[in-house]
Amino acid sequence: MTIAYAFALAFALAYGIATAMNHRASHVLLPLLDIFQSVPVLGVVPVVFLVILGTGPAPPVFNQEVASIILIFTAMAWAPTFGVIAGINAIPADIKEAAHAYGMHGTRYLRQIVLPAVFPELVWSSILAWGGGWYLIPVEEHLSFGSPPNVTQVDLPGIGRYIALAALQANLALALFGLLVLVGIILAIDRFIWKPLGTRAEKYKYETVAAPRTTATRQSTVAAGVRRYEDRLVSPVLTFFKSERSYASRVLELTRLRRLRHITERLRFPERITRIPLWGRVLSYAIFIGLVILGLAITIISRSQSIESGISLLSTDVTGIELVAFTILSLSRLFIAYAIALSWTLGAGILIARSQRLSRLLVPIFDIGQSIPATALFPLVVILLVDPFKNSPYLGFTLNLASVLLILTGMQWYLLFNIVGAVNGVPNDLLEATAAYRIRGRRFVKEILIPASFPAILIGSIQAWGGGWNALIVSEYIGPNANVPGLGSFLVQATAKDPALATVEIYASLLVMTATVLIINRLVWRRLLRKADRYKFEA
Amino acid sequence: MTQPSEPILQIKDIAKIYPGEGKSTTVLDHLSFDVYKEFLCIVGPSGCGKSTLLRIIDGLDTPTSGQVLFHGQPITSPSPKIGVIFQTFALIPWKTVLGNVLMAISSTPVSKEEQFKIAQKYIQDVGLEGFETSYPKELSGGMKQRVGIARALALQPEVLLMDEPFSSLDALTAENLRREVLDIWRDPAYPTGSVIMVTHNVQEAVEMADRVVVLSARPAKIVDDVKIDLERPRSPRDPTLYDLADRIISKIS
Repeated sequence: MTIAYAFALAFALAYGIATAMNHRASHVLLPLLDIFQSVPVLGVVPVVFLVILGTGPAPPVFNQEVASIILIFTAMAWAPTFGVIAGINAIPADIKEAAHAYGMHGTRYLRQIVLPAVFPELVWSSILAWGGGWYLIPVEEHLSFGSPPNVTQVDLPGIGRYIALAALQANLALALFGLLVLVGIILAIDRFIWKPLGTRAEKYKYETVAAPRTTATRQSTVAAGVRRYEDRLVSPVLTFFKSERSYASRVLELTRLRRLRHITERLRFPERITRIPLWGRVLSYAIFIGLVILGLAITIISRSQSIESGISLLSTDVTGIELVAFTILSLSRLFIAYAIALSWTLGAGILIARSQRLSRLLVPIFDIGQSIPATALFPLVVILLVDPFKNSPYLGFTLNLASVLLILTGMQWYLLFNIVGAVNGVPNDLLEATAAYRIRGRRFVKEILIPASFPAILIGSIQAWGGGWNALIVSEYIGPNANVPGLGSFLVQATAKDPALATVEIYASLLVMTATVLIINRLVWRRLLRKADRYKFEA
Repeated sequence: MTQPSEPILQIKDIAKIYPGEGKSTTVLDHLSFDVYKEFLCIVGPSGCGKSTLLRIIDGLDTPTSGQVLFHGQPITSPSPKIGVIFQTFALIPWKTVLGNVLMAISSTPVSKEEQFKIAQKYIQDVGLEGFETSYPKELSGGMKQRVGIARALALQPEVLLMDEPFSSLDALTAENLRREVLDIWRDPAYPTGSVIMVTHNVQEAVEMADRVVVLSARPAKIVDDVKIDLERPRSPRDPTLYDLADRIISKIS
């Protein structure tokens, strides 16, 4: 995982610097990056294993490790890359001019200006990257491919395999123990590596630019001492709200929620992409499709099968209508999970904002909860929801429930962080004004809190859907006898089929997924985001 | 201005002390004064607690000790008879000009149609006719503060509190708005009797006020209470105003 991280960092720096410093290149590189990050990472798993295992002459263990590292890389690379781009873009013009005036060029400019500017973003986004990496671990360390006679087993020693095996053996104690160890590792890394690094990173921030979008939240924490005292209000409605606000922001500072929120606000944000000229977009899609075809070609050639046989097999095995049906089924599952996630996180966000006792209780729980990779919960769900119902008529129901639950775990935290952050970020003067004009209770929630969190809900939703697609792949296929129809299970089942057919089917489902993600982003979220502008507070 | 014997607001022995780690901070050190039907300015060095005092008067903040009486009744929470204008305008970005003004009066026991009429009237009075459906983002600073003023006036308040209402505006805009606020306040058609304005701009205070309460640096005490019986409209170049301003500035520093 560390190796993958090193690669991801190197990639992020190279790609990010190329994108940010070269205007023309950015027209292609930015949208390409956007497409890449829309591909559900878990969907790539079988592809990478097929390609690597099929081609390499090296011993299988080595190949497996390489494949595993590549996979973790795909889960890690995108966030730091966006981080680098954001960091370079945030270098103030006067600093650039000053550097130019004092004759800093080439590597000196890179070392003394670009790298320090990028450092904080790299730290923040690395937290996200590692989160993505952990997510993959339980899945990719134990896998099997192919149909029974010639099964390819992937079995890498590691905590992920441990958890996966626990699920297979339906051993609740083992699964819980593995989960505990995993969470322990994650939290330890967080405390001992990211927290000190994050504190160090603050030094490299340019005060004046200070991330326009985060000013509201920054002020609430920066305004220490005298200002804070003056701002603290003690009247019935307001005080209440106020003291919790400062409390919640203190808690948020301590936990990773805050750091995560900081990044999520700046990264994966599609605004930057809207200004790209058409040729850039077309070219980037072309490159993406080219890469897909290349991958397809390699896989198929290595399996000494012709592309035609694969495609003809596909057309006999599944129809286009089936694929569409799968997509719709999966989409509806995602939508249900999203609706549940949105309603509970909105409620929780408002509660955290308004009650000190509850936030004291809930925030640490959420903090630990969100550090659990959704995929690691998989065995628990299998053991509790699937196994006991193996032979009962309710199996279909519990399976769907399990699937939705797993998707939910992949979605909810993004929404929660964003909402809590937004509720905390409502400017003081506005709170005072609403109190002065006696807007309270339900009206306060409806007219102030919810509109104020609208942009954050949107950003959270985009991320949540990304997480949801990932979780979809594991959640729909639990075992040969325990699966629900959908794109995710279609993908997993494809891996067990005849090699040529498998390849084509995997690619087909992956492409459909990516296309769906991109279409939803474009049709729903970006439009709403443009509307959300009005709900933003002026800096 | 003649002062009736009955004060509208009585500030009685107000103290505000923030408990801190180790030592506590006294912000307001037992202040007392009465407010009549007048234009009162509170001036003092920045950070002395002027705004805190204003918030206590509106019931947005509670004093550590002492109380504020409004017609003899203690104030504990914001009253519909008191309007507030904020330095940073505090407009809701997702509501239109009309929506922002309506917000202020939406909890009054008047019918929706009536509320609508009132809001419309005050938007006209501050010169924003035609901008009812604009959003705050589309307005200049001066226009935003006009919305803030319309919002406060729409309550038809007896007391108007202003927290540095002109200090976020450019000099010319501020000058115009000052005159307009005075005109509105002096218009007998408006029910507003008392205006309390917090400012650190001494020149502004002596130009506008009937009376200036001067606070010292933290912990704030009243160091002077200056009556200004000059005819309006006043010329900003009136030498008497300069003398008064000098007197006040010498008390503060």
